[in-house]
Amino acid sequence: MDEKITEASSKDNYRQEPKVGVYICHCGGNISDIIDVKAVAAALAKYPGVAVAREYAFMCSSNGQDLIAEDIKNLGINRTVVAACSPSLHELTFRNVLQRAGVNPYLHEHINIREQASWVHKADHAGATAKAIKLAQAGVEKVKRKDPLNAIRVAAEPRVAVIGGGVAGMRAALSAAGKGLEAVIIEKAPRLGGKLLELGKMYPSGEEGTAIAGKLEALVRAESKISVHTGVDIDFVGGFVGNFKINFKNSDGTSSQVKAGAIIMATGYQHYKPAQGEFGYGESANVVTLPEFISLMKNSPAGRLEYSGKEIKSLALIHCVGSRQVEGIHKPQADGKINDYCSRVCCSSALYAANQVKDRYPGVRIYDVYRDIRTYGMQHETYYDKASKDGVLFMRHNEADQPVIVSDRTGHTVKVKDVLTWGEELEVKADLIVLVTGMMPSDISLIKSQMKMPTGADRFLQEVHLKLRPVELANSGVFIAGTAQYPMDVPEAMAAAGTAAAKAAILLAEPDIPLEPFVAVVDEHKCTGCGLCPAECSYDGALMMAEKNGKKVAVVNPALCKGCGACVAVCPVRAINVAGWTLDQFDAMVEAIAKE
Amino acid sequence: MSKKILIITTNHSSYPGADAVGQARMGYSADTYVIRVPDPVMFPEDFYLNAFAKGIAGIIIMSSGSDCPYEGAYERLSKRVARVYEKMKAKGIAANRLKLTTICTVCRAAFLKEISEMEKAVAAV
Repeated sequence: MDEKITEASSKDNYRQEPKVGVYICHCGGNISDIIDVKAVAAALAKYPGVAVAREYAFMCSSNGQDLIAEDIKNLGINRTVVAACSPSLHELTFRNVLQRAGVNPYLHEHINIREQASWVHKADHAGATAKAIKLAQAGVEKVKRKDPLNAIRVAAEPRVAVIGGGVAGMRAALSAAGKGLEAVIIEKAPRLGGKLLELGKMYPSGEEGTAIAGKLEALVRAESKISVHTGVDIDFVGGFVGNFKINFKNSDGTSSQVKAGAIIMATGYQHYKPAQGEFGYGESANVVTLPEFISLMKNSPAGRLEYSGKEIKSLALIHCVGSRQVEGIHKPQADGKINDYCSRVCCSSALYAANQVKDRYPGVRIYDVYRDIRTYGMQHETYYDKASKDGVLFMRHNEADQPVIVSDRTGHTVKVKDVLTWGEELEVKADLIVLVTGMMPSDISLIKSQMKMPTGADRFLQEVHLKLRPVELANSGVFIAGTAQYPMDVPEAMAAAGTAAAKAAILLAEPDIPLEPFVAVVDEHKCTGCGLCPAECSYDGALMMAEKNGKKVAVVNPALCKGCGACVAVCPVRAINVAGWTLDQFDAMVEAIAKE
Repeated sequence: MSKKILIITTNHSSYPGADAVGQARMGYSADTYVIRVPDPVMFPEDFYLNAFAKGIAGIIIMSSGSDCPYEGAYERLSKRVARVYEKMKAKGIAANRLKLTTICTVCRAAFLKEISEMEKAVAAV
């Protein structure tokens, strides 16, 4: 599946005298608060080969893009340098501007002065500015030496692999199938549904988690474009965009492989498990987590809330257990880390559960011990209002003064230094302590290490950009759905899954995926036919010696060349280069950087 | 005169790694210049020597190491860098001004450590 097809070139600009347009982005202050963008533009305006240098608030905005297009039209700009954020975010944006304006899109150079300058040199404005000037000048030198290139397309497997068969995985597969894409769900548990299967009544609909899972599974099973593998153990994930391979062992011990053009990571979350003795968990009776309490409620008889056969007449909810942990206050976990993030959904979940208790067992006294109530979702504040109205007693502590649980034969006493009563030390008796635990990412270390998937400081999978590319990983062709990314509730996970499926469908909409045309090219006039380069090539048939026009020369097969450049280094006359990344370009860049 | 450090990164691995350092707002010296390539195996020995001759104080090659997507490229690169060291020695250029290392997409601490060590190495230049 790695056959490559060369497309026709858009415009042939290489014979024109380079007229470079340089554009410095403020990134709304992300860059311009540190780097003197006017000074950069002024320095570049005087640089040889530069016809115009401008600075603008957001080069990626439509107005910013129009600036470039107008300069191409009015000033005859035929090469561009944009100094802005990382090329991973907007290099393609600006190539498209050139293409739309009739200039070959590869006559563009993207300079990173945000992630690799303003964000890392905050204390050195002058140094960051000088660096930005040098980098932009190096970019000009490179783009002046660029040739127009033609896109290469790689045939892609017309299929998306969805790793994880919970709510996000099922929704992603259904959305992908709805867009005409074949989807394969790979789930390690024996059945589909994930954490939904453990949950009771869910906000906002009040439906049982198992009912929602059942509905989704029925839709999945009825969809002919979706195939499902459950009870499997993934042992290998590899490949690249368009051509991923996932190997796994089935429950019967046999091995299977799924080939896919894209992957959706819907690997979900795990509940934070309190440490032994944390608020009495694991040591004292009647200390449970919120998920355990939800199961308990499901199994309690009507009119009597029971735990271990005893009636529960009072309970205390302790918020932020395993979330918003503070170094020095909370004990690190086995990996030495603390969960300093907010798990987002637990406040709403806890209040929703408290309201269910009040509805079903009105006589039960509920104490809610919290640091902050963050009922952030649409209309979730109503859960707080209802709980307040129904007599749930709220007590608020600050970060340093954690509540203390003292247990004896008579039950539990919760001690809280309550900031709502100006620091009064309150004590309440409770038959049951419910620890409102947060979410942690599932253990997907094997897949993460094999695919080098990026994770944030919170250990969840990290998207490329929260706003611009919210469901994409840096690994091209890999998308994220649901709580593999960060704590979210079911409606959010479903929305994210739909977005991830849409991105995968866009990627695989055509039978081949456009890839950068960066393969080795030979200058036949320069080539002396010495034969040194084929020996450096690791790919059979990608580079060989052949007779052309009565001359022995190196010949590249662009369908097989991977563009690594191993052959480039050994050519004594620089007759072979990787298109778009030539040695002459790099020599000129280094010269510009080194120059005082 | 500033002691400029040239950092050669790979599209697949260390360039995103350098971005990750920025995204985490970790700081380092502004005398550092990142260039990105498909793989540093493309550079002949003379490229490094010419860079030193032009005034670059130190060069860090941040390869993809064993994660390199190109078959055999890292082994070839290692051998080439060994030859560069021989040529540097012949020219009297201190060996610690060139470093071949491996940086992944999330190797933020390692990225900063390499810069810090190279800063110390070039201080004597």
